[in-house]
Amino acid sequence: MASPCEVIIQSADKQLAAELGNIIATEVWRIEDKYSRYNQHSTCGVINNNAGYSVAIDEETYLLLNFAEQCYQLSDGFFDISSGILRKIWSFNGAQANEANKGNHDNFPTVEQVKQNLTHVGWRKITFDQKQITLAKGMEIDFGGIGKEYAVDRAIILAKQLTNSPVLVNLGGDLAVTSSRLHNEPWQVAIEHPDTNSNQNILADMIVSLQSGALATSGDARRFVIHDGKRYSHILNAKTGWPIVDAPRSITVVAPQCIQAGILATLALLQGSYAEQFLAEQDIKFWARR
Amino acid sequence: MKKNIKLVLFIPIIIGATGCSSLGVEPWERDLLAKDEMSLNASPVDAALDDHIYFSKEASSGGKGFGGGGCGCN
Amino acid sequence: MKNKTEKINIKVALTLATAALLGTSNLAQANTASTANAEDNSWEFDSAFLFYSEVDRVSAGEAIFNAKKTFANDEILNLKLTVDALTGASANGAVAQPTVQTFTRPSGKGEYTIAAGDTPLDDTFHDMRVQLNGQWTQPIAPNYTASGGLHISKEYDYLSLGVNGNLAFDFDRKNSTFSVGFSYFQDTFTPEGGLPKAFSSMPKVSDSVGDFAETRIDSEDTKTTTDILLGFTQVINRRMIMQFNYSYSIVDGYLTDPFKVISKVDSGTGLTQDNIYEHRPDSRVKQSVYAQSLYHFDSSVLDVSYRYMWDDWEIDSHTIDTRFRIPLGDAFGTESYLQPHFRIYQQSAAEFYQPFLIDGDTLPTYASADYRIGEMTTYTVGLKYGLLVNNGHDLSFRLEYYRQAPTDAGFDAPGVLNEVDLYPTIDAIIAQVTYSF
Repeated sequence: MASPCEVIIQSADKQLAAELGNIIATEVWRIEDKYSRYNQHSTCGVINNNAGYSVAIDEETYLLLNFAEQCYQLSDGFFDISSGILRKIWSFNGAQANEANKGNHDNFPTVEQVKQNLTHVGWRKITFDQKQITLAKGMEIDFGGIGKEYAVDRAIILAKQLTNSPVLVNLGGDLAVTSSRLHNEPWQVAIEHPDTNSNQNILADMIVSLQSGALATSGDARRFVIHDGKRYSHILNAKTGWPIVDAPRSITVVAPQCIQAGILATLALLQGSYAEQFLAEQDIKFWARR
Repeated sequence: MKKNIKLVLFIPIIIGATGCSSLGVEPWERDLLAKDEMSLNASPVDAALDDHIYFSKEASSGGKGFGGGGCGCN
Repeated sequence: MKNKTEKINIKVALTLATAALLGTSNLAQANTASTANAEDNSWEFDSAFLFYSEVDRVSAGEAIFNAKKTFANDEILNLKLTVDALTGASANGAVAQPTVQTFTRPSGKGEYTIAAGDTPLDDTFHDMRVQLNGQWTQPIAPNYTASGGLHISKEYDYLSLGVNGNLAFDFDRKNSTFSVGFSYFQDTFTPEGGLPKAFSSMPKVSDSVGDFAETRIDSEDTKTTTDILLGFTQVINRRMIMQFNYSYSIVDGYLTDPFKVISKVDSGTGLTQDNIYEHRPDSRVKQSVYAQSLYHFDSSVLDVSYRYMWDDWEIDSHTIDTRFRIPLGDAFGTESYLQPHFRIYQQSAAEFYQPFLIDGDTLPTYASADYRIGEMTTYTVGLKYGLLVNNGHDLSFRLEYYRQAPTDAGFDAPGVLNEVDLYPTIDAIIAQVTYSF
């Protein structure tokens, strides 16, 4: 996951808290092990390594692929989990790059490189059903855009099965709650200001009172690249292979489930300068920072 | 003399507080501190009204903030 | 770009897709409220009305309207309007006597009578005051915040102009803050009847205009107040924060109260021979140290502070002030709370304070019988009740009882002064309503 993860339970029962922590950690690691593109033995890794061939999948993977399909359609093709291959030419660890190179970054690709890699991107080139998935040769899929939020929602389901105490699950800023806190008090969530770097103190610029539901933040606070003085977000336009321009620096969306919030935030960012309009027209609660 | 003693006692408290680097919280531990009621000046309107009353009726003023002039009440 | 009808479906479509993925049949609602929006460019308003009333003495009403706007880069503009009105009677400094007494009003025209045994109170005062404050705060560098402000206050006979500035420096993950501030006020006083000569006798109404003028030195005078404040704030742990302040203040100019007298009594009988105007030094240097601590229990918050003040008039004071905020949940109103308040204050007498003078003794350089610079203990006990109304706006009610108890600093009372109350206790009620929106 590579981001701080925490589970908060409002209870005086230490044993319960330990048990809850274990259950959720186990589930989150299970999902990470299964869908991480960095793990060769994960389901994702096996699928990617056998591009061109049919690979057997289980029901959970089928449901996730179905969900990804819905997102592809809803976004008119801008959200495409087969765009993961573009990571070979894009590297978004802007926080370090900024200090090292102050401008040009080695991993900023050329137009040719992008064109070439784009031939291996395209959800339409994938076929799958309940039992198997087949990628076209040279393709890869990446569950990064939905994996973390899915893990949060799964964790909430498990938490609700275990206890009635209020629980908040936060995986690196994508979070959800099982219910409001005791006495109907909301959870207080601080949203990090996009301008965080090691030279400045971390400022929590905004506090949101979450009564129920989930919150996901999509943005470039940590993952971006700077080229010629311009800041490029890590959200790539799957059709052109280039990062979306004029997107807000950060979008936080509230929705009943975390995966919904996460997709809406990503879909909004994909709209670039129309991000806020897109969400406002949907009557979705959100906060954006430019 | 009495005043000097009080001042001398006051300064070690500050040095003691700054000397303990174990004091303080990480940014993500500020949940309670972020609440309005944990602000050192939680009700500035109440404080302003009270300060005015006590400035008019007693010989001391300020301490928490400026105690200076402002009205012809004392 | 999609057209409108297609867009409307995204939320629904996603909800269905999510339900399919997670197998969740309960489509939970998501509810939030956003608070503390540093980047929300809207105004925050506070309005309050306070009523103060002493038994048989002064009553005052004060209204405050405060507007605060936070800008994009954490800049804050604060504007405040204060209006207060005062009426009723306050002690003029003379001692009570077993006989009826008559005093002249400050203007020299008109007089008032005090019943036997009563503490002499002058009820001439009803005044109205208007005050405007403006304050601008902004970060000037990472971890440095600067603030500056202006003050203007006007009442019938008093004008006050002030300026203040402050610089704060945060360090250690903003757990510690140092601050330095200064303020400067210039006040001009034009009292009715002018400024009386020190220790001159209170004139009679029957005195001629010329005789009256003889007892006056000037029609107006000024006073400047310069304050320096050093502060240190430290977060102790997740539940506790503390603050320590040191302040140094110099007041210079006309510090005497032109409406107050001190009685010269006979050393044997204790009967008043004359009432003369008081006289205070023309400068006062005050210093104070202040410590405050806030502690958050499971849901309640305790606020305790202590202040020690000392000055070159030899006044020493201790103040302990504490509040305890008890949240009541939603039982008695949305997010309601109760906050008891207790304050205790004790001061020693100014070096030149005397409840009266002995007729025939050499006049001291300075003397004042104003109980407010005499030895005194005060107590405040109060309760505040607050809740949210109208979509999250704060409404609160505060009721307090304030008792001022002057005490005998060791002055032997001759003759009839033993039969009257030289140190009357003053009880007051404080009632306040505040609405923020």
